[in-house]
Amino acid sequence: MTRLDPDRDSAPWWAAVDRGELLLQRCASCGVPRFPARALCNRCRSRETAWVPARGTGRVYSWIVNHQRFLPDLPVPYAVVCVRLDEGEDILMYGNLVDAAPEALAPGLPVRAVLRDGLVQWTPA
Amino acid sequence: MFSKNSGVSTLTLAMEAILTALDDAGLSLDDVDGLATHRVGDSTPPWVVAPALGLDGVSWYLDQFGGGSVSHSVVGQAAMAVASGVAGTVVVYRAINARSEFRMGGTGRGAAPVFDAQYQAPYGYFAPPQQFAMYARAHMNAYGTTHEQLGAIAVRQRAYAVKNARALKRDPITLDDYLASRWIAEPFRLLDCCLETDGACALVITSAERARDLAQPPVLISGAAWGGGDSFFSGVPTDFTVTEAARMAPRLYAMAGVGPEDIDVAELYDCFTYSVLVQLEDYGFCPKGEGGPFVESGEGPPVNTHGGFLSEGYVHGVNHVAEAVAQLRGTAGDRQVAGARVALSTAQPGYVLAGTSALILRGER
Ligand SMILES: [Zn+2]
Repeated sequence: MTRLDPDRDSAPWWAAVDRGELLLQRCASCGVPRFPARALCNRCRSRETAWVPARGTGRVYSWIVNHQRFLPDLPVPYAVVCVRLDEGEDILMYGNLVDAAPEALAPGLPVRAVLRDGLVQWTPA
Repeated sequence: MFSKNSGVSTLTLAMEAILTALDDAGLSLDDVDGLATHRVGDSTPPWVVAPALGLDGVSWYLDQFGGGSVSHSVVGQAAMAVASGVAGTVVVYRAINARSEFRMGGTGRGAAPVFDAQYQAPYGYFAPPQQFAMYARAHMNAYGTTHEQLGAIAVRQRAYAVKNARALKRDPITLDDYLASRWIAEPFRLLDCCLETDGACALVITSAERARDLAQPPVLISGAAWGGGDSFFSGVPTDFTVTEAARMAPRLYAMAGVGPEDIDVAELYDCFTYSVLVQLEDYGFCPKGEGGPFVESGEGPPVNTHGGFLSEGYVHGVNHVAEAVAQLRGTAGDRQVAGARVALSTAQPGYVLAGTSALILRGER
């Protein structure tokens, strides 16, 4: 699958992925990390932010194993995971499960990010 | 703040405009409980703006499709929301990068993707059955909900469709049929999914006084509520097992002066089996997490008595209201719920960057 165009908030985040870096925004005022990127902290409403490296670790919150051929060029089956990052209960990222079979998936499975082909993928830690 | 190139997202433009307007009015975000805009695929909807601002008390929203022809209608509807009491303070906004990004009829580049798709679609995650399957799996993980419990919903709704001459799927199915249907996106099988339907459905709404003089027994709108939806912003709850309907339902019941125990028939948005299960919890028919055993037991009011989107057809919600009206008029034929006087009819419960809404209807029989 190809990436969509970034928006004006997310462009720096995707540029970092292309450099092999996984980043989060962090509010420079109250320190709360946030993802996806946007201009305002929704806790303290500060506009001051910084980009910080993410640990790249988390736990599987939910997943699907897709069998339907929604797009002709996408081989099935494949697993999509929703990962809760270790930086915060409210920071979720999606990706495919890579280098492991879908049978490995379980609630809370520890995973780590694998930056590959311009995307953020996940594999058992 | 007008320019040829704002350099920022329409989300940022919207947030700054809202903050500026509130500041000018001497109000704060804490005063805001209504958010409205209109757009033509060129801006950021209210249910993205609200969590980005940390607003969690929005009781009315409007995401009106349209361009210049609706700009004033948005204001008018906001006034109606305030006059009716569903909202106290509404902010109407419109945020566009019509020069530097997308303008309807223009020659600029295409619309920016809706906020979260860019983080999902590249992984082959973009279709509603996949998204609702993800939420269903989270419910299974948290509460031990089973495939058989999802199947019980499909089987029961099909049994209603058998009695509905309008339904597209009228062959009875068993739990074994359900379990034998092919995977779409685990944990969903084919029979977890609604139909793809060509169809139309319309409703006539008038004053109660006039309705009582017309050809059909009137059905009264006792309650209407709007909910802002959820998104995957940091700083908002990210529990896939709870929908926006859970926050909205108390407002809806309060307006109608009823509770879940008073609902005689419920037509619950059933894009997938799981959306019925989670709404039974979030509209208060059973405690959170007990939707699975609840649907297996068959307790609670009759649900989706026309067969729902799963078996009657998918007309995006209006056919649920039409069925509620038929039940309250007593014209539902073989599938009539005896003595039905109060009905709940619901929209998509507010997953995936979407809002929700629902009606409580009352018959006069
Ligand atoms: Zn902050």
